[in-house]
Amino acid sequence: MTRIFALTIPLIFLASFLFALFRKVKIYDSFTEGVKGAIPLIVSIFPYIAAVTMLCKLLEISGLEKWLTERIAPFFEFTGIPTEIASLVMMKPLSGSGSIAVLTQILERYGVDSYAARCACVAYGTSDTVFYIGAVYFAGLKRKKMPAALAISIFSYLAAVIFSCFLCRIL
Amino acid sequence: MNTLFTLVFLACAFLLLCTSPDTFLAALLEGAGKGATVCLSLVATYSVWLGLMRVWEDSGLARGISKLLKPLSKRLFKTEDEEALQAISMNLSVNLLGISGAATPYGIQAANLLDKTENAEYSSAMLFVLNATSIQLIPTAIIGVRVALHSANPTDVIVPTFLATLLSTVLGVCLTKAFIKPVRALAPTPLLRKAREAGTR
Repeated sequence: MTRIFALTIPLIFLASFLFALFRKVKIYDSFTEGVKGAIPLIVSIFPYIAAVTMLCKLLEISGLEKWLTERIAPFFEFTGIPTEIASLVMMKPLSGSGSIAVLTQILERYGVDSYAARCACVAYGTSDTVFYIGAVYFAGLKRKKMPAALAISIFSYLAAVIFSCFLCRIL
Repeated sequence: MNTLFTLVFLACAFLLLCTSPDTFLAALLEGAGKGATVCLSLVATYSVWLGLMRVWEDSGLARGISKLLKPLSKRLFKTEDEEALQAISMNLSVNLLGISGAATPYGIQAANLLDKTENAEYSSAMLFVLNATSIQLIPTAIIGVRVALHSANPTDVIVPTFLATLLSTVLGVCLTKAFIKPVRALAPTPLLRKAREAGTR
């Protein structure tokens, strides 16, 4: 099963490039033009990533992280989410770049292929940064139903995190 | 995020001041260095996928995909606005590829276009929920991080991620349909509403 999915990425590239060749696209020019967009994108998120990685380090060495995790551990144990990924679960709805930083920290601390790390990766993928999207997409637009939509998103997110930890245990 | 950052930062700084003040600057520098490393691996990921996206755009594949998604998005969003549907389709297909950073411009465009349509309350809520619970075919950013950290099997998270994100998206869509009902008839325009209010007074 995993083998088949590993084939998808090379196949997507192969098919896209062959299609582009067929449509007489200058692939090299087009591809490099797209790559160019990566730098502004990173420049726009770097400040947030750096600020959060600094904060993570402070949290870690000040002992505050350990204290916080111990406080919420009962809830996570109850739902089957490993406590190692607690910080990520709380960070993800707030900041995408911040949670990438937290994710990397978890992967390094417990090993990339450990159970906790796989849970972290899957949990990371289950939703996007709910509050960030609310703030950016709908900046300036006043919508009455936004709080309801926000509640729905957060609820679906938590359900999916619990489900993904369960999946990591059986898959 | 502002309140959270300030609160946590101050709490940590205060704790460190009491325990080991000499580690404070070292920790900040190490954190910033880690941030730079993370960004470097993200530059690699974005380069690969944004390059591919551009090839899709230039070869007309992107337009094809959004045409393919159109019947679905028309039913989900209950809108006929062509321009908004195009932006939604691009936003959704980039989300499917797991590069939410690149989906943001299309999302903002779609939100602003939907705001002018008659069913805005429902369709903006749907756009929000779909983006917040983003369904992913390939979690590209995560695979990138896993490759960078020398995972033995970087792609083994694809299947569980797909299933889990499918659950969150389906759940989100169902809840939105149940709680935020689309209006069948035309909603009153601001002008009409004002006239009505004046009438009741």
